[in-house]
Amino acid sequence: MHTCKVPPAPKLRLYRINTGSCNGCDVELAATEALTRFGLERLGLSFTADPTQADLVLITGPLTVRSKGKVLAEYAQVPDPKITVLIGVCPISGGAFRDSYAVLGPLDEFLAADVNIPGCPPRPEAIVAGIAEAARLWRGGEGPQLAPAGFPAPANLRGRMSYRAEACVGCRMCQHVCAGGAIRFEEQEAGVSFTLWHNSCLFCGMCSHYCPTGALTPTGEWNLAHPQAQKYQMVEQGVVPRISCSCCGVPMLPVVPELMRKGYRALTRETAQLQTLCSECRQVRSIGGLQRCTK
Amino acid sequence: MSRTVITLGPRQLGLEEPMYFRVQTEGDRVCGLEVLAGQVHRGMEHLTLKRNFYQNITLLERLCSLCSNSHPSTFCTALEELAGMVIPPRAEYLRAVADEIKRIASHLFNCAVVAHIVGEHTLFRRVMELREIVQQSKETIYGNRMDLAANCIGGVRYDPDAGAIDYLKNQLERLKSPLEELYRVFEDAAVLRAATEGVGVLTREQANEFGVVGPVARAAGIDYDVRKKSPYGAYDRLSFQVAIEGAGDVRARALVRLAEARQAVSLIEQCLDQLPNGPVALASFPEVPAGEVIAKSEAPRGELIYYLKTDGTDLPVRLKWRVPSYPNWAALGEMLKGEPVSRIPLIVNSIDPCISCTDR
Ligand code: SF4
Ligand code: SF4
Repeated sequence: MHTCKVPPAPKLRLYRINTGSCNGCDVELAATEALTRFGLERLGLSFTADPTQADLVLITGPLTVRSKGKVLAEYAQVPDPKITVLIGVCPISGGAFRDSYAVLGPLDEFLAADVNIPGCPPRPEAIVAGIAEAARLWRGGEGPQLAPAGFPAPANLRGRMSYRAEACVGCRMCQHVCAGGAIRFEEQEAGVSFTLWHNSCLFCGMCSHYCPTGALTPTGEWNLAHPQAQKYQMVEQGVVPRISCSCCGVPMLPVVPELMRKGYRALTRETAQLQTLCSECRQVRSIGGLQRCTK
Repeated sequence: MSRTVITLGPRQLGLEEPMYFRVQTEGDRVCGLEVLAGQVHRGMEHLTLKRNFYQNITLLERLCSLCSNSHPSTFCTALEELAGMVIPPRAEYLRAVADEIKRIASHLFNCAVVAHIVGEHTLFRRVMELREIVQQSKETIYGNRMDLAANCIGGVRYDPDAGAIDYLKNQLERLKSPLEELYRVFEDAAVLRAATEGVGVLTREQANEFGVVGPVARAAGIDYDVRKKSPYGAYDRLSFQVAIEGAGDVRARALVRLAEARQAVSLIEQCLDQLPNGPVALASFPEVPAGEVIAKSEAPRGELIYYLKTDGTDLPVRLKWRVPSYPNWAALGEMLKGEPVSRIPLIVNSIDPCISCTDR
């Protein structure tokens, strides 16, 4: 037996349920369980294979039609009160498998979720952070704070996506390539609003890869675990404001400097003027310019 | 002797994924097996038809997380073939790097599971620790420990600079002697040998009959590896020998995987040494015309076949797979016949089955 300073709190037992995952979250969970460096043991947590002995339930995967009966029966065997943790975007929103005839998720339509850990899959450090949050909830908000463990996040980690409306041209390429259905555009009077829901995002970076202006970029932020109450607040938002064409006054989306730089190589006072012109006025201005040159 | 039927679930089978078996026993021996699949059926064929080509790259990477890179890379190859695109040489090498790094992680995970099942818990942790070097490398180079997001239509999405290449070479160096040592342990350690030798045998004839693929086939002496038989991408410029064993037992399968993990280290090194300069993806790509195509690759679990039919739009008309685990499941009945019930988890895991691919 080895002794350990923390925690005085009783050991909590974790029980895992896979509802039909791609096994990504499960394999990461297995690594989280196996390796002391991730610090689950230090939080006073251990796994059990017996649902009747568990305090915390960890759920992975989108609930499939086929697995539903078994999953809910297993879940019911875990005595109340219990804390339920959803790992990966699959159980939280359906993730990549949303709107399939074979998938029933999100899980919170079938049981009471307490903590969500977005990611696809989340790194073990994020899983531990979410489980630590769950353990604190179980202990009534008390318990050891999470000590940073595991590996420091590398520089090009694909974490939370970040969006800058100032650089967005509203081309919607990001939405077109997004497999998670995480991005939504809405036409509003003030402009075009953009919303990206981290609980549906697969952190694949396709949107940033195909974004022509760099308005979307992955950040290294990986700790996105949150209590269920915050589920729908986990968003990235912005509005590309509509302006009036400086020539004819028609409402339009401004042409961002990133795009001007692509089109004209450098930004000058003239390109700055073009930015506030609608495409028709810009055409006229360019043709007019041409005429001036040939005069 | 009394015949009984028992049902085993993921916990009794030692699987990470939900799969159920109905096993007929005679005394304590297995005499028949029925695989009850479908728990992980997510309607993937249906989903792929509702997603455009771009979205499918990300979706397919989630068909199975252990072979995750093989899916998008084979899918992109199929699309490129249809559109007559020739990807830049640098991209070919970088695709091979991504495939091989996933192979090491996949094989090590299976090796850890096998160690765990035979009760070698220290070895289990050691293998998982070793695997962390690979996990850490994937996260550093690609940005995620499982899903690399390395592929795009016309090439790859990552372009390692000199620093990243040095880092990766260093990480590979750290893997070398532990991998060699691990191979020796699985080859010679008395406990492991006793637990795995002559267990769950699939003879060469049976292997042929069932059309098994990957390490399961090669462990039974079948010299078949897509990277050699019909080289794709950079593989015709890389040197390696197909890992073959003959005994067709649990031990042979583990040894094939460990040999391949070592080989993968060398393959990545060769790629990095030969890595040509230039773009990593085509700047633009032509429309994908209507047509049909088959693409295949050697995934960690064996030959992976993609069938794709298009109609000139950017949504597939049909996408179908022959995943490596599929024929391997079928052969499990032969491997288990006459074995004690207590060995079921070990033998099942020795085929390194992937349920999310099989059920999809
Ligand atoms: S969240 Fe992503 S990694 Fe996790 S099970 Fe779902 S698809 Fe797989
Ligand atoms: S990273 Fe971008 S493209 Fe990928 S799922 Fe998230 S929002 Fe969609």
